Amino acid sequence: MGRTGEDIRKRIARARLERMMVIAVVILVAVVPAIPIWLMYGWIISQSFSGKVILGILPTDLTLDNWRFLWSPIKMGEKEYPNIWPITINTLALALTVSGLVVFVSSLSGYALSRMEFKGRTALMQFIIALHAFPSVILLIALFVILNKLGLYGKGFVTLVGIALIKAGLEIPMATWIIKGFFDNIPWDLEWAALVDGASRWKVWRTVILPLVLPGIAAVSIFSFLSGWSEFLLVFTYVAQEEYYTLPVMIYYMIGEFIHIDWGMLAALGLFYAIPTLIFFSVSQKVLLRIYVGGVKG
Amino acid sequence: MVRVTLDNISKFFGKVRAVVDLNLEIDDGEFVAFLGPSGCGKTTTLLMVAGIYRPSRGRILFDNEDVTDLPPKDRNIGMVFQSYALYPHMSVYDNIAFPLKLKKEPQREIDKKVREIARLLRIDELLDRKPAQLSGGQKQRVALGRALVKEPDVLLLDEPLSNLDAQLRILMRAEIKRLQKELRITTIYVTHDQVEAMTMADRIAVMNKGRLQQYADPQTLYNKPANIFVASFIGSPPMNLIEGELEAPDDNSVFFVSSGIKLKLPNVPPNVAKDGQREVVLGVRPEDLQMVGPGDADKEETLEGSIYVVEPLGKEFLINVQVGDHVLKMLVPADGMPEAGQRIRIRPNFSKIHLFDKKSQKALL
Amino acid sequence: MAKKIRRWILPLLFLTPLFIMIGLAWVSPLALTVYLGFTDLSIRNFLAFIQDFFTDKVSLTLDNFRRIFTAEDPNIPLTLKVTVLYVVSVLAINAFYALVLSLAIAFFVRNEVLSMILRITWLLPRITPGIIYALMWIWFIDPRNGLLNDMLRLMGVPEDLLPDSWLLRTPYSQLLMIMINGYVGASFGMIVYTAAIKSIPTDLINASYVDGANEFQAARRVIIPLLKWPMLFVTAWQTLSLLSSYEYILMVWGAGSGQGYGIARSAGVMVWSLYSYSKAFAEYLYGYASALSLILVIIGIVLIVLYFKIFGFRRMMEPSKVEV
Repeated sequence: MGRTGEDIRKRIARARLERMMVIAVVILVAVVPAIPIWLMYGWIISQSFSGKVILGILPTDLTLDNWRFLWSPIKMGEKEYPNIWPITINTLALALTVSGLVVFVSSLSGYALSRMEFKGRTALMQFIIALHAFPSVILLIALFVILNKLGLYGKGFVTLVGIALIKAGLEIPMATWIIKGFFDNIPWDLEWAALVDGASRWKVWRTVILPLVLPGIAAVSIFSFLSGWSEFLLVFTYVAQEEYYTLPVMIYYMIGEFIHIDWGMLAALGLFYAIPTLIFFSVSQKVLLRIYVGGVKG
Repeated sequence: MVRVTLDNISKFFGKVRAVVDLNLEIDDGEFVAFLGPSGCGKTTTLLMVAGIYRPSRGRILFDNEDVTDLPPKDRNIGMVFQSYALYPHMSVYDNIAFPLKLKKEPQREIDKKVREIARLLRIDELLDRKPAQLSGGQKQRVALGRALVKEPDVLLLDEPLSNLDAQLRILMRAEIKRLQKELRITTIYVTHDQVEAMTMADRIAVMNKGRLQQYADPQTLYNKPANIFVASFIGSPPMNLIEGELEAPDDNSVFFVSSGIKLKLPNVPPNVAKDGQREVVLGVRPEDLQMVGPGDADKEETLEGSIYVVEPLGKEFLINVQVGDHVLKMLVPADGMPEAGQRIRIRPNFSKIHLFDKKSQKALL
Repeated sequence: MAKKIRRWILPLLFLTPLFIMIGLAWVSPLALTVYLGFTDLSIRNFLAFIQDFFTDKVSLTLDNFRRIFTAEDPNIPLTLKVTVLYVVSVLAINAFYALVLSLAIAFFVRNEVLSMILRITWLLPRITPGIIYALMWIWFIDPRNGLLNDMLRLMGVPEDLLPDSWLLRTPYSQLLMIMINGYVGASFGMIVYTAAIKSIPTDLINASYVDGANEFQAARRVIIPLLKWPMLFVTAWQTLSLLSSYEYILMVWGAGSGQGYGIARSAGVMVWSLYSYSKAFAEYLYGYASALSLILVIIGIVLIVLYFKIFGFRRMMEPSKVEV
């Protein structure tokens, strides 16, 4: 092959051109389509602090007026909405209950699946994965009937508890699987050592294993908290009384005020509601990502 | 074929200085080994020659033409990776044909070359298999075939034998050397195994901590190590290294002094000792020490010690001798059975001793 | 004997909460969906049914399925069409666009920081609570306050091609539906693919460069063939989840009255699962709605069994694992 200086310069130029084509592909595929995402976030942030934005994301003034829902009743158009704080507490209560239930159930069953030999273990694991893959929203109608049957429909706060139970139940297959994964990574000899030392299995679980799966439990609790915090459909469908709405449902109804829509306040309220999610996510990004891979969402 | 010149190249990864100011010339058709412990920068250097890394500073020349900015695909190099890096989704045939397909050579030409190289490497039976169905030695040959099929100007080998068992390694060592001599391809061979480097290479570049320590043919490297690192790295069992001082009480004698040791060095010119005193490291290879009887030598030119432990190696014994505060290793012919605790007198072969400056680590003789 | 009991008592103890929760949230609604699909349960006999499961006011019937399969329900053909459009186009984004996106982010972009910024950007739609994501879209497409039309104008799209309402005009509304779900879905593929790409040994890619490949060729001939299983996994998994997902459509088009029934249909974004939802919660035809759901349930079960056959147990759980 030719290896004159001329030839080499040509090849280098060609390589530069190829690199530029690669960059063009990146821009076309990953950057340009991402612009709407950036704009949307830019808008929600600047709109929430400004009375009027131009070009979508440039605030013209700086005001906290849009955040008035934090200290005064919310009015949009003619309609008066419930105070923000009880609604926030509803949302928080739902998320915490879901999270608590999921962690309790899935750490017990995750341990059993990882560490115990029993008949039907493999079948149970396959069943759990099948559930994990199965789209739960199809079951909304039947769940509505069950909620009614259990007398949990239209009972205000009790309905929220029922919803938490259902939501937790829907999350549990995935959570169980994640926690099982963490148990699987603990070497057996650790448990044996503790057993030889004369501890009971329960005590082993509490003092030896649990601290080691704590990261997994933390991940599952954050994940299920966030999924409870974001839950929309169940509350939207099953809760009829305004004072037991959660934040996403209230925001949904506010968006519906087409004519009287107050973009500024909606942006602020939306940010208020989304911030815990974004904070949690940025803190525990790595672990959550792994979980989202298997997530049923989307 | 081509002459490769590394002109003062350096590579930094953030704060890590992987390679520092490396100057090296590899002649047309020469077989050069990069030798050093892991993390010494040898693989980084290889990847720079391949064009996968771009040097942070300096230039790389092929036959005096600057190829520093040339991407790997245009350098016409063949490379064998430590992990072999065979494409798992392609058959052996497709693996070997891959470089030719990318060159858009005609199908018939490709087929001919693939079968030719497969025959040369004795893998023509395996062409339909997938890499997962091959043994380590077979993968090695396929990787070699893929590197050679496009008749590269430079062949780069990155620890190619480290995943093979001992017997196969010796076999492949000879085979690679034969191939290289036959095809006369300029070859760079990266290894941490000094035996591989010594047996195969025309010249060896010993590297440590990103810097070139010495670049010479195997015999020179062994007989005239340029510094303490090379002295200790080359040779098995390793050279005895003793820290101490040089003393020159008068104009025509030099003594090496360390705790429990005082040895006259007849071959060392007194001016090496500078102002009569100098901190040095004395190096003697185990095979350059011999046992002497009480009246056989000038007493000042011998060391007295007791046998600490004896390791029989078949043909020879490796004896650990306690001398003063030091334990020296010596190789002696395996006749008679020296016993632990026995007191002996040993004499170095003074024409083969090494002296290094302790501060600069460099050879003094 | 005692040992034998302990052998299954202990696991049972640990697993009881799981069984209760799965029974409540999965098994009983699944069974109930099957049963309800064959009943005429509606608002008329709902109360009686709640009081007494075996009330004779609820009767068994095949009517629901007759109406679906003979298209006696006039909405069925359109719903089916929209569903196919929705699943196929969003799937294309999730499985194939996401592949190109991942190659761009995890392979073409060499700067770690830039790569991370892009990855987080593309993840945002997924991690943002659904309703906020919907809110931002509703603003973005708003012809007066939003930016989408302005952006398109800037890109030279002629005025008469810009809709006065993205929500109501077909096919703009359908395009919007695909985009809204596509942005969320792309990140699923992206997570799986980038993990897979990162797990490909660097040696393999370097080898392809040495062998004479440029970056495109390395991507096409080495990386993509190695992503065969992850791609199959994403396609399979997303098919299932898209068939049944309607949350974002409900949030965007259902805003206002009618609980997502009226406006979604006229906008041409009524997918099968949303139709089932609307039948139940806007028209209170629980039996008929369950029959619609049951069809999805059966498709779901068939697909899952199929996936187990194709992937096996391991691959289902480690979608990003590349076999080298």
